[in-house]
Amino acid sequence: MMSALIAPAPSVYARESWAEIIKSARMPQFIIPTIALPPAFYALFALAMGQGSAEVATRTLATFGVFAVMGPALFGFGANIAVERENGQLELKRLSPMPAGAQIVAKLAATTVFSMVSFAMLYALGQAGGVALGAGQWAMLVTVHTLAILPFALIGLGIGYRLGQKGAVAVANIVFLAMAVLGGLWMPIAVLPEVMQAFAWALPSYHLGEIALMAVGQREAANLWLHAGPLALITLAAALFAWTGERQQAR
Amino acid sequence: MPPTASSIIAALEGATKAYGAHRVLDGFDFALEAGSVTALLGPNGAGKSTVAGLLTGRLRADSGRVSLFGLEPSDRLARARMGIMLQSGGLPETLTVAEAIDLHAGYFARRLPTAAVLEQAGLTALATRRCDRLSGGEARKVQFALAICGAPDLLVLDEPTTGFDPEARRTMWDVVRAKADTGAAVLLATHHMDEAEALADRIVVIADGRILADGPPAAIKAQVAATAIRLRTRLPADHFRALPGVVKVESVGADLSLLTTAPRASLEAAFAIDPALQHFEVTGASLEDALANLVHANRTTLKEAA
Repeated sequence: MMSALIAPAPSVYARESWAEIIKSARMPQFIIPTIALPPAFYALFALAMGQGSAEVATRTLATFGVFAVMGPALFGFGANIAVERENGQLELKRLSPMPAGAQIVAKLAATTVFSMVSFAMLYALGQAGGVALGAGQWAMLVTVHTLAILPFALIGLGIGYRLGQKGAVAVANIVFLAMAVLGGLWMPIAVLPEVMQAFAWALPSYHLGEIALMAVGQREAANLWLHAGPLALITLAAALFAWTGERQQAR
Repeated sequence: MPPTASSIIAALEGATKAYGAHRVLDGFDFALEAGSVTALLGPNGAGKSTVAGLLTGRLRADSGRVSLFGLEPSDRLARARMGIMLQSGGLPETLTVAEAIDLHAGYFARRLPTAAVLEQAGLTALATRRCDRLSGGEARKVQFALAICGAPDLLVLDEPTTGFDPEARRTMWDVVRAKADTGAAVLLATHHMDEAEALADRIVVIADGRILADGPPAAIKAQVAATAIRLRTRLPADHFRALPGVVKVESVGADLSLLTTAPRASLEAAFAIDPALQHFEVTGASLEDALANLVHANRTTLKEAA
């Protein structure tokens, strides 16, 4: 009975993901700045201003990989969901037999693909700038950077479900900048006034940055739980933020 | 003819829905039958979209029972048999028409081939056009295509032909009619009388959350034996509103059109106030007039009861 009426879920997930990727890829005015900004900043901050220091290049690569997922995750989810919700696309999908998770999985897939492009550019620049890591360290770094997508995507989702298109873009911008600066992704939080440093503990960007630094041997790995614990809690809170936003859709 | 239990596709039983203190529906009963086009007619704010929203699971009833194919409207097995055209529906801007249809059709196991959907919706020539480069009417056609692509047993259309040229309207009506003739139930929420008259097997008139009339188009017209009187006078329209039997007065070019339930009394009174009256013409009311009359009578009764 089920199969006679409802298309098999894996095929729907795959098609929805593919559609999401080509939808974004056909908006170069959105996707190119989102993907290219982190490598461009990296070339400027770490390579040009770091004056050839391999240590600066390595440290900055760790935190910029976290920075690179924020654009696709916050704007891809936040602004996109807000647009699709406002113009009724989301409602039509919600009333169709599409599995509830397909939309989210598709957006996660697209965010991952576009983040990967950004990572590849960053890693290539890093290697050119003297970053020398073992295979194990590369693997850990890629893992941390990829996992970073989840909390930011959930935050973007929560924003997109609550605000209109313009509001979502504005809030996503504020979150984007605050996460980058107060989370120490552009420069270590030690350069910030002490009052502002305290905020870092509430930000997923800070904990992800610290864990990425551990992956490349720039921090004591023994402190992993000091950051993984708060990160897990923040991710849980972000999931709740996204889920309650989704619940508001049914009237 | 009341629907038989076996042919009922969707039903509301004692459904109540309020927005804040405003009760849009209060103990509303309604059922849709297979193989028939039901038009929901009524003025804006009458509750048409609320009825459609409850049946499709877009809205949740505060109380009462809603069933879709014998299931909850939120059940995916029920949704798999339903196609919806919302009043305002956005499209994925950067996908082509064919891609958008193919993606949506992919949710349904019984889907129609994309080429067939394009053809039925009159979109074959626009298949490779991006959705953000469509005119308003073309975008409505794509939304119609999304509604029919899953070969639904229930087709819900909310003001479907807004923005259509007459030919496109006819074409869509033909497709909708064909769907009903092959067994689908169609719910059409509209305020175009000609659309309801051309397409519907059954018209349900609602106003202020109550069913005022329910029957075939001819019966709705006959239910209110309204007559339209067209006349030419030098007096302002206001003088005619209070005449016996008159429920509505409208200016039509140089003439006035009176809608009345008591044509003889109205005419006599009209001559009494303007003996120079000329050029008059008495006709049976159109469906539109009948509807206006029904709604008017209902409001008056409510006021008297209050």
